[in-house]
Amino acid sequence: MVTTTSILIVDDEFGLAEMLREMLRESGYAVTLAINGQQALEILDERKIDLVLTDLMMPVMDGVELATAIRNDDKHRRTPTILMTSLPAVAVPPDDLFDAVLRKPFTPEHLVSTIAGCLEGRDAGATGAVPRRNDESASGGS
Amino acid sequence: MSSRGPGAGKTILGNQICFNHAARGGHAVYVTLLAESHSRMFAHLERMAFFDERAIPDRVYYIGGYSTLAAEGLTALVTLVRGAIHKHEATLLIVDGLVSAHESSPTDAEFKRFVHEIQTLADLTGCTVLLLTNAQRASGFFPEHTMVDGVLHLTDELSELRPLRHIRVLKLRGSAPVRGLHSMRITDQGIEVTPRIETRVPQGVVNEEDLAAGPKVALGLATLDEMLRGGVRRRSITMLLGSSGSGKTLLGMQFLANGVRHGERVVYFGFYERPEAILAKCMRVGIGGLKEGVDQGLARIIWHKPVEGVIDELGESLIQTVGSFRPQRLFLDGMEGFERAADFPERMSHVYSAIAQELERLGVTTLYTTETRALFAKTIEVPINGLSAATQNIILLRHVEHRAAMLRVLAILKVRDDDYDARMREIRITDDGIQLLDTFAGESGVASGGGISAEPRVAGLE
Repeated sequence: MVTTTSILIVDDEFGLAEMLREMLRESGYAVTLAINGQQALEILDERKIDLVLTDLMMPVMDGVELATAIRNDDKHRRTPTILMTSLPAVAVPPDDLFDAVLRKPFTPEHLVSTIAGCLEGRDAGATGAVPRRNDESASGGS
Repeated sequence: MSSRGPGAGKTILGNQICFNHAARGGHAVYVTLLAESHSRMFAHLERMAFFDERAIPDRVYYIGGYSTLAAEGLTALVTLVRGAIHKHEATLLIVDGLVSAHESSPTDAEFKRFVHEIQTLADLTGCTVLLLTNAQRASGFFPEHTMVDGVLHLTDELSELRPLRHIRVLKLRGSAPVRGLHSMRITDQGIEVTPRIETRVPQGVVNEEDLAAGPKVALGLATLDEMLRGGVRRRSITMLLGSSGSGKTLLGMQFLANGVRHGERVVYFGFYERPEAILAKCMRVGIGGLKEGVDQGLARIIWHKPVEGVIDELGESLIQTVGSFRPQRLFLDGMEGFERAADFPERMSHVYSAIAQELERLGVTTLYTTETRALFAKTIEVPINGLSAATQNIILLRHVEHRAAMLRVLAILKVRDDDYDARMREIRITDDGIQLLDTFAGESGVASGGGISAEPRVAGLE
């Protein structure tokens, strides 16, 4: 059975999350959106999410609080979490919370390769079913 | 804070206020509503001196509010803002793109309620709120203007081909702002505002009696000082009026060099010739001592490139220089430089008047040059403006044709409340300095070039 890799984008900036969703859909990922960390945690509890791509500064719950909650939750702790930020390096939190940091602006290729790298890293230590990208969409790339 | 269109500087000013607030220990939250993306904003702000990346995210925090507004409406946006103020202990809140909230609102009444809730939030939390919005709205209705405590309006407009940025305080409850337009520039320092100079200088009237009782200041040319019966009065303002190349600048430099010779502090403030060029020129014609004066700290040569639209900065620079250096003598070379920098020509009279009053108050004796347009006109136009009205003395320099030769000539046109020698003298600029010669003794009609008029006709004098 082929399972589509599911990505949760967490970003409060209108337009950016929608654009990322289209880029990742074109690369064969299933994408869900949340506009803050709190909403992201609710989605994580409701459905299967393979990777979280989160902004840093958001209302209600920010990216650091979200990543901390994910790491502290046995059910989600292995979910790769990528931070995307336009902040200068000095303002970026310690990267042990995140599997990768994407500095805005970034290219679609860099986004997709970073996601793929994080998923491979998780899969290398996985014992359960391995999600993979939708072959048909993946061949279209972005 | 509003503007008539994009690019007026609201976002830069909003961020500048945030970072300055953070630098003083405050906490700021910046909420964007369909404004430019945070990435783009940071890319623009990074070059600004006020932008301190270390303040983000602990003291300056950015959030996007439009997704919440679009999905859940104004009430949810208020909840989001309230949560952000509480969570980040914000003492300053910026909402950038208020027009989006208005346009998303089903009715004007709901938008007014939103603004009212933000106000209530500000009152309850002690948080200062700045709403950034656009004054170009389809409805032409700006309910927030009547509800908020203050309105700052930023403009970026063209006057013919010249870009002009201004800021205006339309409203500020509980205080007395300096009303009207004030010059504004965007530089790597951020927004720089220079209030209209005429509003910064205490208004008063020059005490002519005190002035007339003051001691005489010799200009440094023996013949001219004799014509002036010893020189001009201390603290007086003297216009050197003449055509291009008639010797105005050298006469002014002679005035400064004479001051340095007597151990006085002097300032040259000009627009056209750079300091090294002006000093070299003086050396070439035998006006010595100024370079040494600069080296000894007695003389300052201030050169300003005539930049468009910054007349208030020029005025500020002049007054600050005179106020801090406290020179006894000042030479303003080319008042046209001020006029070229004027945003609105109709202001010039007030600007000059303010500058004249301040110079008189600071006790400096001033010479300034102003140029006549025509080289050989029979009628001499004296510019009537705030400075000439405050000018005690006028010395004319011009070219005349005399016995098949072009000569430079000098005549005193006006000395307020003092006797003077009105006879015209030839100016010769030699390697040994400026010489004044009695070339025209017994002749008439020299100034007009026709040889028949006894005196030049002077238009515009009191």
